Amino acid sequence: MAELDNIIHQPVRLRIMSSLVTLEPGEQVDFVYMRKILKLTDGNLGAHLTKLENAGYIKIEKTFIARKPRTFINATGKGRDAFQDHIAALQAIIHGKKEIDN
Amino acid sequence: MDVSQKEAKDSLNQIQEAATYTRKTITASYDSGLLIMWGLICIAAFLGTHFFHNWAGYIWWVLSGAGVVLTFLVVRHQFRQANPTKTPAAERIGWRIFWFWTLLFVYIFVWLSVLAPVKDLQMNAFIITVIMFAYVVTGLWFRSYHMLWLGIVVTCTTLVGYYLIPVGYYCLWMATTAGGAILGTGLYTRFFWK
Repeated sequence: MAELDNIIHQPVRLRIMSSLVTLEPGEQVDFVYMRKILKLTDGNLGAHLTKLENAGYIKIEKTFIARKPRTFINATGKGRDAFQDHIAALQAIIHGKKEIDN
Repeated sequence: MDVSQKEAKDSLNQIQEAATYTRKTITASYDSGLLIMWGLICIAAFLGTHFFHNWAGYIWWVLSGAGVVLTFLVVRHQFRQANPTKTPAAERIGWRIFWFWTLLFVYIFVWLSVLAPVKDLQMNAFIITVIMFAYVVTGLWFRSYHMLWLGIVVTCTTLVGYYLIPVGYYCLWMATTAGGAILGTGLYTRFFWK
């Protein structure tokens, strides 16, 4: 039975994972771009990304493109699986199967 | 963690909204600027042709040439520096798109030489519809459905202009419908697409 994920369920992290999982596997999104589309500050986004990275749900890559530093983020396989499990748990709640206590 | 049915529904709605918005904004970031530029070029070229018919050839060569150069510079900048996403295949895909468009224009010249002589109106409608074919195809490839529909709509308006609109008003028709549709799609995807 799928369980709700405390880490993913936080509203900002939920939006982050929703955005990342939308991308194709292996596709990375730029940090600045993610900050804009989610309308977050650098610090706020950075803190939530750290939490997700520590859980193994995302990977953060810092690199240089045309000599400018850029940070790219992508969801890991573990993160995608955890996200799908979280969705399944939400759907189970909606269909009234069970309220899940964590 | 206790979550009510309402909270669960709200979460799923948020997930759907975030996913849709992300895909739309990333897609729009690639082509909205180019659509705005080519929409303006299209409007200017058709209006220029209508009011300064004797200079039509020069107008189209200059504006189209400028558009091609700017497109190349914008796309190169996009892929090198401002790309919102990075995929392992991004550079390969970028070059394929570049060569696709280059070869398409080569083939346009080839087809026109084979079909010659063609009237100005025929050549214009032919070039526009071939470009719109490319929009439809790339829209399908990259799941950019706004490009697909734009290609279909402008093809239809071009055919209406070619077959039904009096020749003297063809350019005004095309400036409004084709140019307007391309510009409008670019503006919509850049500023209003949610």
